[in-house]
Amino acid sequence: MAKHQSSPQSASSQGANSQDANHTLEPFFVLHKAQLQATVVEKVSKSRKGRKKGIESSPKSPEKSKRTTSDEQPSNTLYEQWRFKAFNEIWSLIQSSIEGVLRDINLKLFNEVLQWIEDSFSEIKSNVKLSSSEILQPYPLLADTLCRKIPTAFVLTKNAEFVDDIQTFCDLGSHLKANRCHVANMSALDFSLKFGIGGSVRSLLRQLHSEPLDGKIADMLTLAKWYCEEENNDKPIVVMIDDMECCNADVLGNFITMLSEWVMKIPIFFIMGVATTIEAPKNMLPSDALQHLNPCKLTLGTPSDRMNSLVESVLVKVCYCFSLGHEVSVFLRNYFLRHDGTITSFISALKLACSKHFSLESVSFLGLYMLDQDSEERWSEKFVYLPESMKRCVLNLHSCKSEKNLQGGVGSIVQQLSDLKASQRFWSSVVLCLFEVARYSKMQFLDIFCEATDPKMYCMNGSENSLKKHFRCGDKNSTARSSSGVGSITRVIHTIREMPVAALSNLLDKWNNHTEEMTEINEEVKKLQSVLASVDEGKVYEENLHNIRNRKSVSVISGKGNSANEKVAMLLDAMIRKYMKPLECMTLHEIICFRDVDVLQSGLIGDPRKTIQLDLLKCHSSLSCSCCSSDAKNLSPSMHDTSIMYKLAQEFGDVINLYEWYQSFKTVLTSSSQTSRKKGRPSPASKKAKPLPPSETEALIQARFCGAVTELQISGLLRMPTKRRPDFIQRIAFGL
Amino acid sequence: MAPKRKKVEVEEEEARAQEEVEEEDEEEEEEELAFSRNYFLAKEVGSASGKRSAARKVSEINLVDEQLLRASLSELPTKHEKEIGSLLESYKGLYSNWLFELRCGFGLLMYGFGSKKALLEDFASSTLTSYTVVVINGYLASVNLKQVMTTIAEILWEHYKCKAKRSTGKKQQTQLPNGLKSVDDIVTFIVDISDDCNCSVCLVIHNIDGPALRDPDSQQHLARVSCCSCICLVASIDHVNAPLLWDKKMVYTQFKWSWHHVPTFVPYKVEGLFNPLILFSSGHVQTTKTALVVLQSLTPNAQSVFRVLAEFQLANEKEEGMHVSELYTKCREQFLVSSQVTLNAHLTEFKDHKLVKMRRHSDGQDCLHIPLPTNALEKLLQELV
Repeated sequence: MAKHQSSPQSASSQGANSQDANHTLEPFFVLHKAQLQATVVEKVSKSRKGRKKGIESSPKSPEKSKRTTSDEQPSNTLYEQWRFKAFNEIWSLIQSSIEGVLRDINLKLFNEVLQWIEDSFSEIKSNVKLSSSEILQPYPLLADTLCRKIPTAFVLTKNAEFVDDIQTFCDLGSHLKANRCHVANMSALDFSLKFGIGGSVRSLLRQLHSEPLDGKIADMLTLAKWYCEEENNDKPIVVMIDDMECCNADVLGNFITMLSEWVMKIPIFFIMGVATTIEAPKNMLPSDALQHLNPCKLTLGTPSDRMNSLVESVLVKVCYCFSLGHEVSVFLRNYFLRHDGTITSFISALKLACSKHFSLESVSFLGLYMLDQDSEERWSEKFVYLPESMKRCVLNLHSCKSEKNLQGGVGSIVQQLSDLKASQRFWSSVVLCLFEVARYSKMQFLDIFCEATDPKMYCMNGSENSLKKHFRCGDKNSTARSSSGVGSITRVIHTIREMPVAALSNLLDKWNNHTEEMTEINEEVKKLQSVLASVDEGKVYEENLHNIRNRKSVSVISGKGNSANEKVAMLLDAMIRKYMKPLECMTLHEIICFRDVDVLQSGLIGDPRKTIQLDLLKCHSSLSCSCCSSDAKNLSPSMHDTSIMYKLAQEFGDVINLYEWYQSFKTVLTSSSQTSRKKGRPSPASKKAKPLPPSETEALIQARFCGAVTELQISGLLRMPTKRRPDFIQRIAFGL
Repeated sequence: MAPKRKKVEVEEEEARAQEEVEEEDEEEEEEELAFSRNYFLAKEVGSASGKRSAARKVSEINLVDEQLLRASLSELPTKHEKEIGSLLESYKGLYSNWLFELRCGFGLLMYGFGSKKALLEDFASSTLTSYTVVVINGYLASVNLKQVMTTIAEILWEHYKCKAKRSTGKKQQTQLPNGLKSVDDIVTFIVDISDDCNCSVCLVIHNIDGPALRDPDSQQHLARVSCCSCICLVASIDHVNAPLLWDKKMVYTQFKWSWHHVPTFVPYKVEGLFNPLILFSSGHVQTTKTALVVLQSLTPNAQSVFRVLAEFQLANEKEEGMHVSELYTKCREQFLVSSQVTLNAHLTEFKDHKLVKMRRHSDGQDCLHIPLPTNALEKLLQELV
């Protein structure tokens, strides 16, 4: 079937391939079993539980590398292992940072939920005291219906895309579990019409029981028995439903009604995620279920707040060992804003970028040592044992080609790497300072980040005037410009000029922390702090108020604004000019910087609809054969049958007449063979073929036609004829 | 002028079709919409398409024998064999990157025109040696996901047992635990034990968008399994709308796809094995054949009743159909049926197999009609000896 199956290179797998032929009609089969020695390594790499942490597990096997340098294949595998370990270390660092950030953002809400549960639980306990035998009674207690209400927290996720909140609810579950609660994390799949209420109860029990439910009947009595066990008693049971609106309303309604019968005996709490408005449960649930709920409303943070925190902690603070190039940053920003606005998609794009970087950049493993205190020593140690070929890889990096100093040897490379590390630290400190201002003016950190990574901006820094011009007018090329056409960093500086003194003082306090490594700047910050402190606060405040009232009259350029504000703005300007050197302007940045936006885009967004059509319309670009014309409009018989057919199909409207299509196809296949005969130059396809009898030629053309239609049908580009219209095929895809 | 003619054609076509068969409303609406769009397309194109004569029929093609066509299809030489070979060879250079991504926790999703079966299996057998590879031929409608999941569960259970035996020294039960009755249970079992399994399983799914795996339940099960720590996924899609199978949760948190565009231009031989041949699937040839098969399985009397009806239809082409009472009289005359009940039994049989359709005559009475074109009906009667 495929060419490579019979190629000599794959001789070893030929046996397997002949066996594969028997497997083609089996629904499934085991191709081969794992080779035992390698399985453990794979497991460690994939399971986060088993992952080694810390730098000590990083690749350092000089003897091994020395031994294998003669053999290219094993050494490639070795470097791949190093890169994979580097990816693991760095991604686990990024991931723990992401988890930490998201947890911190939600902590306030989590504590609010916990407080609500504790209060309600103590209230229930003070009202109802039941013995185990009473709890186990299969019939409900006679009580006031008011008491049969289940305390329910509706958490407004403020997010039309639910995917971001799955992790939030998991974290909430862990938080509650750690604080003496039984937690069952349920989803819409547990409330489906297919499995009904039985499925819901089974899922609830499965999550609460530590042991499997082998043979046990999943009913409320089993739950009651479980709750009566000593270790389970005296704790609230929290049932979390993350996407309440996706549940089947009847099943959820019945579930609520059933639990309400037991709520006196078993303290159950609901936490339900609501994506739209607080009205949603009222509209969705049946009224008899709704009356058993005692609602309470809580709200999650917005995706843009979460995004700001992520950018700060992941892209800026943890950027020494892996960072994004400007184009990739802009792509990710647009992907977040225009694609679906979910943090989850952003994180998965970031992970893909990280894995592509370590997979494609041969010397990316060196970036791991950026994390070390003694990076220089580690690099020196590493370079001594690296083979010449790898050193050449480093020197052949695009950013090194113009750098003559690097030809000096290992020492100079290590020096450049140290400079890179230091520069990244400074860059990140300045960006953090920018973020502090952006936080005050509620700007998006991602916009500032994109601008701060732009190498064009740094190139403009050559002359002071051009820099000023850039900041005051905004960079026309910058993609992160606001709607007003002014760059984000320019807006940050404008904001400082208009900040009240109190905010300015707070800002300087934060800058003081961020600029600790930049002594010169830090001193300036301290000076400004003392200047601010010495100024009579009331006076400045009044001045400031006056400025704000007459904002139009305050000219930033002429420098008539508040002097302290102007000084802070100038300090920031100086910081940017001196220390905010984008990574892509540094030598050896390729080791830690991922810039290949096309690779990321194609890995992230497949777009098969467009691509498969393009494959067919421009098959020559993939096959690069000599027999077909590269001109997309020309049809030659040597072209791929399906490609000819699809090109012909473009001439029809929504429906294709099979007869006409067949005749056109036949004409393409036959006419050009006649022309080639006339020219005396047979096409490669017809060179070997002997002239066939007409019936066989017809059969061949019809077979090709049928095969091509089947292939187009498999690709989903056609819909087969209906009984009503057996002579027409319907086209499905129009345009790219 | 041309678009007008096109419109007339369309109207005529529609009217004729409406007479012929009764179809569902939805389909009609859809097609009417398509035709109205076609009208505007024709207008845009201008006179070029307007020159076309009335719609031609598949039956006008001089069709060769189906067997001969099938034989030719199976022996078709592949065009660009050399180029396809070098294209596949070029993908071999990417195997190490694909493995890297798999190990990073991504699922590989291969797309692009051409069968990717050989490519994926070559990748699996040459590169995924440290994984136990289970291949699912999703292009077959006979795939039973429960059986697949059971096999995966057995593989994991094997490793789980070994590990438990090593740590506790006790002998574990050899079979899967009882109570795994539904696919859901098996998937839950796989998810539960996957963290404690000391093995790596790679699922290679040819056509994850295939007919048997296209339903939401199957996709949910695959998604749940794919996010287990010891299971990774390599899948291929061929349908342009395949991404619509997944929601964001499945894409970002479960499958975690890394897309790879790998057009191979290898013919879809196995994938299209069970697809009907277009020239034989919808034309009168197929219908005559199927009708013949059905009729031959019926009693001689039933065949004769059908013949009476068919002969009437051939003789009265302009009639809307034959009245039931008329048919009964004729059949009774020829001693084919003895009572209305017997005739009704035959008619029910015909209707069940869609050999005969009931329609309302313009005089208000029900009449019978065979939904086959005249030439097809003639051919059928000739063969029904």
